[in-house]
Amino acid sequence: MQAMILFGVLVSTYLMVIAKRTPALIRSFRYQSFCLFLATLIIALQEHELDLYIIAGLLFVLKVVLIPYFLNRIIKRIKANENLGLLINPQLSLLWALGFTYLSWVFTRHFLAAAQLAGGSILAIAFFVVFAGIFLMIFRMTALAQIIGLLIMENGLFLVASAVSGGMPFFVEIAIFFDVFVSVLIMGFFVYRINKLFTHIDVNKLSRLKG
Amino acid sequence: MLIVLILAIPALLAAGALVINKKVFGIINSLGYLAVLTASAVLLKETLLADSACTYFGFIYLDALSAFFIFVISIVSFAAALYSIGYIKKDMEKGLMTKKKARIYYALFNLFCFSMFFVPAMNNLGMLWVAIEMTTLISAFLVGFYNTKESVEAAWKYIIICSVGIIFALLGTILFSYAYSLSGGVKSLNWSLLAASAGKMDKNILKVAFIFILVGYGTKAGLAPMHTWLPDAHSQAVAPISALLSGVLLKTALYAILRFGIIVIKGVGFSYFGNLMILLGLISLGLSACFILVQKDLKRLLAYSSIEHVGIISVGLGLGAPLAMAGALLHVLNHAVVKSFMFFGAGDIVSAYQKHNMNAIRGVIKALPFTGIMLLLGVFALTGFPPFSIFISEILIIIAAFTNGSYLIAGLLLFFLAIIFGAFIYHFGEMLFGNLPKGMKAAGTPLSAKLAFLFLFFQMCAVGFVLVFIKKDLLWIVQKLFQL
Repeated sequence: MQAMILFGVLVSTYLMVIAKRTPALIRSFRYQSFCLFLATLIIALQEHELDLYIIAGLLFVLKVVLIPYFLNRIIKRIKANENLGLLINPQLSLLWALGFTYLSWVFTRHFLAAAQLAGGSILAIAFFVVFAGIFLMIFRMTALAQIIGLLIMENGLFLVASAVSGGMPFFVEIAIFFDVFVSVLIMGFFVYRINKLFTHIDVNKLSRLKG
Repeated sequence: MLIVLILAIPALLAAGALVINKKVFGIINSLGYLAVLTASAVLLKETLLADSACTYFGFIYLDALSAFFIFVISIVSFAAALYSIGYIKKDMEKGLMTKKKARIYYALFNLFCFSMFFVPAMNNLGMLWVAIEMTTLISAFLVGFYNTKESVEAAWKYIIICSVGIIFALLGTILFSYAYSLSGGVKSLNWSLLAASAGKMDKNILKVAFIFILVGYGTKAGLAPMHTWLPDAHSQAVAPISALLSGVLLKTALYAILRFGIIVIKGVGFSYFGNLMILLGLISLGLSACFILVQKDLKRLLAYSSIEHVGIISVGLGLGAPLAMAGALLHVLNHAVVKSFMFFGAGDIVSAYQKHNMNAIRGVIKALPFTGIMLLLGVFALTGFPPFSIFISEILIIIAAFTNGSYLIAGLLLFFLAIIFGAFIYHFGEMLFGNLPKGMKAAGTPLSAKLAFLFLFFQMCAVGFVLVFIKKDLLWIVQKLFQL
């Protein structure tokens, strides 16, 4: 079961890397978050810990429901071009992503002594998700894609944390969820402002400040 | 329980800003921060004299190092609160700010200070991360406050680059807790526990984790080459906020690096930490020297100077001798004081001339006599002239470098400082003297701004003079701070 879910995370990440339009990206983000939710729920069922149930619940409410809903709403309200503005085309992006997958596997093997760790493959996938997030932030041009890239990185970190130490302490986890939610709201607010002032949300064209 | 007072006052003032609809709120605000300043001075004294750090519920952890950073934050926030009174009034008279926006400004100002006071008080490294991310989110509004194209662009870059950076810091934090759990500890992120068992942790994991921390919090601290958001954000923010950003926000990130650094020093040895800090510090110095030389925008000039000073601090920390550590910590205080002083001056100039471009600003001493003279003194203080405080901290670092035998580092440091000194004297010489542009009339400096200037000026002279006489105590204090 665990392996199935991990596979789901991996596939949804590849889907995000090759997505051409913002709604598709948001949909894949939803799949990825749902996989994380399932994984947490299964562990919670096995260990009967209240903390884990709460974390799984928050994950579902925030990352599967609220945040994707909020992002979709922004797209509708600002009537922005739905294209992501790819600097690298999907095929090449997929190649990069495969390269990242290999690299993160090598990284976990060599640097973190993960060979002794049962969750070695989880860790490799988690690092890959973080890499994919950075990749999207750099090579997609709209402000919304950057927000989603950040969220993907955050999902990756959630996986890293659960792979290496069985998750962070409970109240830290809650605080981080709260923090992520607030930051998405604030960034969304700035997307509105950028759209209003510049009449586009292409961050590559934000180049008034130099030197 | 002083810390409760220090945290409660900004929180209450933030709520008060939204409720109280009076012109006198600025004065109430400043009085509140005066109380915070007093409390933090007492706290610093108490923690220095105490034998062990005090913790509350394992959640708040206060030793001399955290008290010192709280003290620095409270100095600058008091000065910024004072300066805000006159500045906001002027903006409202010009119609740049409505009454409602002024209230929002005060609410955000207080929330921002509140989140900064949280950072040094946290024991849990995860909560430390949350507090630092909160400072970014709140100050992004203050960077984009004027809602112009430039300021919104700056705010966007600021929030995105710092958030990515800080995600790396979270990754580093997780790896630290991994190293701790491998060494046999329970699931915890409390600094006091981690630092106690640093010797048993896996060295390789600590090394990798510290790189992530350095990249992550280094982005927030403005260390080159992760500094790209800094000149944009600092130049576009409201003037009192620029002072807070440059003066203390960067230092809170440095504080986080230091906390992790102490664990790494105990676990891996000093040279790993030291070499990385010196490398990043020298890159920051070199890069900022180049940009300062060719800069055309007044506030960006000061922003690059902040990168330079963060570089000096990290070189000082990296050298590792107690004298250099003393210099670096003093530099944290001195740079906070002098840089906010300079940003207040720049704020006055920009609001009088309505321009950031230094080529269009001439004859400041004639246009704004008080501010002009203060800036003239401030330039010498900032570039490290005796008897001002920055001279003392820089000379301590340089002496330590020479006695350590690190001649190359000392040489590079002096070389960059000389370039920056020349560039600053040139830029400010042109601006302060010369003929007034046509149609400019001499204007006054508001009383509150004068008080803020004098308060900071007193600090930068006093620290410069006093320290010469108490060098021995200083080394004792530093040993106390780092628990070496």
